Amino acid sequence: MKIYLIVYLFRQAMAGLRANRMVQLIGIGTMTVSLLIFGFFLLLFVNLNTWVRGWGDSLFASVYIRSDAGEPVKQQVEGFIASFEGAECVRTVSSEEAMQILRRALGDQKEILDDLPDPNPLPTALDVIFKATEVDGDDLLEFKRGVEAVPGVDEVVLSEDWRGRAHALLDVLRIGGTVLGGLLAVGVLFIVVNTIKLTIYSRREEIEISKLVGATDWFVKTPFLLEGLVQGVLSGAASLGILYLSYLLLSAREIRWMDIPVLEVVFVPPHLLLALFAGSMLLGVFGSLIAVSRFFDV
Amino acid sequence: MIQLFRLSKSFGACVALKDVNLTLNTGEFIFLTGPSGAGKTTLLRLIFGSEKPTSGGILIHGINLSRISRSNLDLLRRKIGFVFQDFKLLPGKTVFENVALALEVCGERPGVIRKKTHQTLRSLGLADKESMFPLELSGGEQQRVAIARAIVKDPLILLADEPTGNLDWDLTLEIMHVLRKIQAKGTTVIIATHNRELLEEMGHRRIRLDRGAVLDDP
Repeated sequence: MKIYLIVYLFRQAMAGLRANRMVQLIGIGTMTVSLLIFGFFLLLFVNLNTWVRGWGDSLFASVYIRSDAGEPVKQQVEGFIASFEGAECVRTVSSEEAMQILRRALGDQKEILDDLPDPNPLPTALDVIFKATEVDGDDLLEFKRGVEAVPGVDEVVLSEDWRGRAHALLDVLRIGGTVLGGLLAVGVLFIVVNTIKLTIYSRREEIEISKLVGATDWFVKTPFLLEGLVQGVLSGAASLGILYLSYLLLSAREIRWMDIPVLEVVFVPPHLLLALFAGSMLLGVFGSLIAVSRFFDV
Repeated sequence: MIQLFRLSKSFGACVALKDVNLTLNTGEFIFLTGPSGAGKTTLLRLIFGSEKPTSGGILIHGINLSRISRSNLDLLRRKIGFVFQDFKLLPGKTVFENVALALEVCGERPGVIRKKTHQTLRSLGLADKESMFPLELSGGEQQRVAIARAIVKDPLILLADEPTGNLDWDLTLEIMHVLRKIQAKGTTVIIATHNRELLEEMGHRRIRLDRGAVLDDP
């Protein structure tokens, strides 16, 4: 296609955007919000994935001792851990500390804990990490059996179990993300189709006359497709910008869950950002194509 | 050459044209005349391809309009100028932009568009109205803009539906002079009119229609 024709069609698209500023702004705004929802979901998924992969590199266990077991049981377990080659107890959370953490975590709803039976039912927890070079899967099972044999020990959860649960959660998120992404894509398409339709309606006289003086369908359609592309580019860029700002805000402060600091927040990798941006442009163009194809019969 | 074979057009129960057979030669200047409702506008619209015949056929330079594809019809329309009775000017565009549109849709270069548009507007006495909007012009001036848009692309066929309906006699003759100049370049000019004075003044072929049928074609 000749350059001056491309320039002409692009100018027509810009004129269309200017002439229907409010409609376009509403369309771009709604598209941005939809893409942002998907972007946040992507951010959550990427971070969970990173954390789970991080757990894969480390072996750890959590030992829970019943609250009524008393100090001798705790000492016996600590003794067992100390004697187990490659194991190290890195943190102990007493049932009182666990209760305080829970109270802080519950905030305004902490009164519900007042109804708990006395004594404090929360277990004492001991977090144990293993040197991966000295311990394998069989050793972990042996550790688990050994600790569980101590009377008063409630449960031993190995990192393998955590990883399994996290993977199950990731699978749920992956399916949920696909469904959510699909629904949002349909929503975005609907928005673009209707925005472009409104633009077409407002310029139907011009379209009709252009056709009467010999414009081909594509000559008339192209500016609308370009409008859809511009909508896609602007809303894609806006949503990625807001997503990045949100990431900066999130990563600037320590994120705690149940008063426990969780791992560092990572941003969505470039290839996914590019895919999100390209998806936004494609949705813009495809939406316009649907709108013009359903409208044109001059 | 334009050939019409047993051409009929009905809108529901209303018969607009029936069994019209005509041959319009290249470079001819033809008046379609007859009372209102005789079928003049319908005949022009059928030649333009904006209406499909109920039966019969139209050949334009050997191209059968009944079998032409949508995209080829668009291309054919670039060779046909149409002056609409209601002008069909875009109120949001200036006089210059309205006329230039006919060249823009053909993919002409910007320089060519500027030059030809200026020339055409000058030839119709609209040089000082270029930057005005249609609604700022009189009826006669709007009509001249519509004619300018139809002739700016040097069409092979020029169809005009009552092109002098809003013009005074002097301007009517001036417009006829312009259309004759277009014809002199080889364009077939077909004008629908019921202006008897004009028909008397001009000595061209006259096809008289009445109730959808050709009544007289000397």
